[in-house]
Amino acid sequence: MSQSPSPVRSCRAGLILRLAIQDLWHDRQVSLCIAAALVAVIAPLLLLFGLKHGVVNQLQRELLDDPRNLEIRMLTSGSYDESWLDEVRAHPGVGFAIGQTRSLNTQADLLRDRQHFLEGVELIPTAAGDPLLAGQARHPESTGVVLSEPAARRLGVSVGDRLTLAASRRLEGQQERGQLQVEVIGLLAAARFARPAAFVDLSLLIELERFRDGHASSLLGVEHGAQRGDYPVRFARARIFAREGDAVAGVVEALEAQRIETASRLAEIDNVRAISRVLGLIFGVIAATALVGCLASMAGAFMANVDRKRREYAVLRLLGFQRPAIAAFIALQVGLLTLLAFGVGLGLFALGSAIFNRALATSHMAAGVVSHITPAHALIALALTLGVALLVAVIGVLRAFNIQPAESLREA
Amino acid sequence: MLTLSELRVTRGHGSGRHEVHLPRLELAAGDMLAIVGPSGCGKSTLLEALGLLLKPSELGRYALGPEATDLAALLRDADESALATIRSRDLGFLLQNGGLLPFLSVRDNIALPRRLLGLPVLSDRVDHACDVLDLAALLDKRPAALSIGERQRTAFVRAMAHEPRLLLADEPTAALDPQAGEKLFGLILTLVQELDMAALVVSHDRALVNQFELPRLVATLTPGGSRFEPES
Repeated sequence: MSQSPSPVRSCRAGLILRLAIQDLWHDRQVSLCIAAALVAVIAPLLLLFGLKHGVVNQLQRELLDDPRNLEIRMLTSGSYDESWLDEVRAHPGVGFAIGQTRSLNTQADLLRDRQHFLEGVELIPTAAGDPLLAGQARHPESTGVVLSEPAARRLGVSVGDRLTLAASRRLEGQQERGQLQVEVIGLLAAARFARPAAFVDLSLLIELERFRDGHASSLLGVEHGAQRGDYPVRFARARIFAREGDAVAGVVEALEAQRIETASRLAEIDNVRAISRVLGLIFGVIAATALVGCLASMAGAFMANVDRKRREYAVLRLLGFQRPAIAAFIALQVGLLTLLAFGVGLGLFALGSAIFNRALATSHMAAGVVSHITPAHALIALALTLGVALLVAVIGVLRAFNIQPAESLREA
Repeated sequence: MLTLSELRVTRGHGSGRHEVHLPRLELAAGDMLAIVGPSGCGKSTLLEALGLLLKPSELGRYALGPEATDLAALLRDADESALATIRSRDLGFLLQNGGLLPFLSVRDNIALPRRLLGLPVLSDRVDHACDVLDLAALLDKRPAALSIGERQRTAFVRAMAHEPRLLLADEPTAALDPQAGEKLFGLILTLVQELDMAALVVSHDRALVNQFELPRLVATLTPGGSRFEPES
């Protein structure tokens, strides 16, 4: 009469899952209350984190977008050769380095015509890879120059125009003026460089320095002067840019170890870091408080639920469900409610985020700031939520573990 | 079908200690035995022990089924897993208030023991029992929508759905009016005999037991406990 089937484990797992869902659905008002308590924690935390991440990201982006923040300026002059520059370039934190001539020789006059000219314009050596000229179609070579927007505006020139670059010297009591026709090959926005300046090929700057030092320069059209082919190339300083914001401190340290005084925007970078740290701390404290509250609320709700359903668990045990099956039943219910709450919380975050972003986009104070999380953040949030769910499940299971099948007879 | 000797179960401590003693019990297929006695004599305790829910303090022999599975050894070894398997496979419980799961329909409540054992959900015997007990129209309802009598009938079909060897019923008619109680009692007796099960039914209702001329296991109060013996 009786049969002795061997119950398939997966069938039983499916049965437990189905019972767990049916029980949650039957008790949907209570289930929704528990899930809502979780949503009330998840959605605001995601929004808060999204904003924190957005603010910090925006600050960091502003830092990285402006290559001036990567520049380490040498405040003292010295005499450095090419091998020293190679050493600087070899530093892992250095993204770009180019030698500069003595300060006095980094100036020249730029003339378009009698009405449009600039005296003593700053000449800045550059080469491919210069972060300040990132985005320029061409890099200055030979007689090509890139003008800063203020210089171009005052000269009234645009890309393709030609200018005269001139430098003067007094040699053996005679005033001499060297000149060279240069072509404007690019313009640099004022936001990148606010002073009137021309970015030139390093060889042109060296030629100007030689000319001022009394050498003849056929390039500048002055044949009078010393003729020395082995003129040693020495640099007074260098333009140095770190590879990224986090590398600035290391490069500064390396230069200062060589007793080279520097100036950089390390303070601003540290500021962003400090803001990130403080926001992280604020978020961490709020998140921890909310999670503890959520844990307590969920654990309380589930313990009350287990007590309320004590007789049902006893009946399930009477019918043959063992303790692990009851534990799985409770854990599945916690897990399902948690996933539901996380999904709803994520949806509310997306909605709130869209509202924030629309409002922030029209605010001058917070232009560019967006509430945003990455998929990795969402996964971490899910893992944390499931962690809370696991703790709640453990508490619920411990509560249910001692329910005996006989209780269904005694309390029936 | 069932052979048992020298069962002693103790509950409580000190002055509240109560020992239930069942010297001997034999049940054949189709037998239905009423357990009767005054309140507090330990009828439910005896049912729990027979249902493998309570570990006896002493047990000589307890064998069930044609192959005489040695339940006494499993109880002695406290083999919870094996006991749970036997409970779900060979025993059927009919509780005072049904013990139906409120989140399942009548159909799912009845099917649960079969699903748990991996048996096909559809069963001619279950369908027959549903027809006999007028449950066919109620299959999609939840227990909350049923009358007490309907719940008890549903609980009975669930208790026998997996065709257990032994049905243990704890005052199944206590919450029913006399007519409904009589009907349920009659149905239990009929189906137990049809399905070759054995049944032990705790009942306070002497009139009902007399009416169906059921053999009885009667409790006699003794100092510190009670003793259950077949009425001669």
